[in-house]
Amino acid sequence: MPVFDKNKIFLDNAATTRPYDEVISLMSKMQSDNYGNPSSVHKVGVKAATQVERARLAIADTLGCSADRVFFNSGGTESNNTALKGIATNYSQKGKHIIISPIEHPSVHYVALWLAKIGFEIEILPVDSSGFVDPDEIRKRIRTDTILVSVMHANNEIGTIEPIKEIGTVCAENNVVFHTDACQSFTKTPLNIQEMNADLITLNGHKIHGPKGVGALYIKKELDIDPLLVGGGQENNMRAGTYNAPAIAGFGKAVMKSNSDDIDKVIGLRDYFIRILKDEIEGLSINGPLGDKRLCNNINLRVKGISGKKIFLELDKCGIAISTGSACSSGKTTPSRVLLAIGLRDDVANESVRISISKYNTMEELNFTFECMKKIIQKERKLN
Amino acid sequence: MTYQSDVILDLKGVPCPRNTAMAIIQLETMDQDEILKIIVDDGEPIKNVPPSLEEDDEYEIIARKKSDQGCWHLYVKVL
Repeated sequence: MPVFDKNKIFLDNAATTRPYDEVISLMSKMQSDNYGNPSSVHKVGVKAATQVERARLAIADTLGCSADRVFFNSGGTESNNTALKGIATNYSQKGKHIIISPIEHPSVHYVALWLAKIGFEIEILPVDSSGFVDPDEIRKRIRTDTILVSVMHANNEIGTIEPIKEIGTVCAENNVVFHTDACQSFTKTPLNIQEMNADLITLNGHKIHGPKGVGALYIKKELDIDPLLVGGGQENNMRAGTYNAPAIAGFGKAVMKSNSDDIDKVIGLRDYFIRILKDEIEGLSINGPLGDKRLCNNINLRVKGISGKKIFLELDKCGIAISTGSACSSGKTTPSRVLLAIGLRDDVANESVRISISKYNTMEELNFTFECMKKIIQKERKLN
Repeated sequence: MTYQSDVILDLKGVPCPRNTAMAIIQLETMDQDEILKIIVDDGEPIKNVPPSLEEDDEYEIIARKKSDQGCWHLYVKVL
């Protein structure tokens, strides 16, 4: 059971998560005893390869796909780069039109902008005030030269769960490759290949109490995609480079440990915290949708007239870690691209903070955080 | 002689040592005296998979046969 330590409250679980004890233990064992190269055919190598395959089977089982469609790599950013660049280079004979949402992770957004520099045409969809993409907007924009649609499964900042099944259906009907970044949603919300119609799915380890530096890309069997890294023949020539076997094993262990009870607990904490915040803090609004269309661990809020950066800094002094904007843009003063996309003005977007919960958080921690937030906001309002 | 298998694992096209690893994971789920039939490619796989499995005292390769398609059928018993 977690021990309440008011100087160490981690509410930035959309940025990363504390690894399960079993993950740390397995990875440690892999480093000290089971350090073989999984590509070597001797006994030590086979032992490491067995852990890699165990992880692959666990991920495939959760996705509902065949294990040979799961390709390990270094994380979500590499998966997104592979998906976009791999399809762009391999399908450029068919066309150069790519559609993405405006709330994609930077590793999709900036790859798309890079592709635009080398001649691809990037079309950015609109989203509504909760961050939802309308599948009909995709249908309207698909052309004969459209080669790829990339829409994330759940948004990392505001927790919007996109209508992936419907988007996948539109893409399939029009013979367009569909990629979704599911780093935030994997194991937190149902993600079944058979229902999703996705051709490419990005996954990673450290958002689900697994290790950093490991991810995977699901690639549909019929899909022809170029690898991002070439060299050795690892991953059936889809991803060259020595396997990060300890991290892959840890990723697999984290997937095996995930369960619906933890999701229910996190939803309960999220809804409790949203309720007390809304009841007690005047001028507080929630960014993104409410209910089951919101990722179970995400709260993104703004308090009228109070800088999000101020709340972030003051909570940090109290030993509470949250985030302004997305983790990757923490430290920047420019407003979040995602919050602007849902229609917030710059000044309103800058009032926002993200609080993201995990199974390791407790009611006690949330109550303490709430009391700290109330004091910070009261003090700021007096000063203003 | 014909052998009955409880489970069949088709590892054609799966490179070494991934094929051995997948066979081990399958064998770990099986009970004593059950037989796993593994289909592997000729060449490196038939050279590498049997010795790797036999290093483990828990398994015995009771038969190996080359199929008409050129691949190999290994019958592995859980001891």
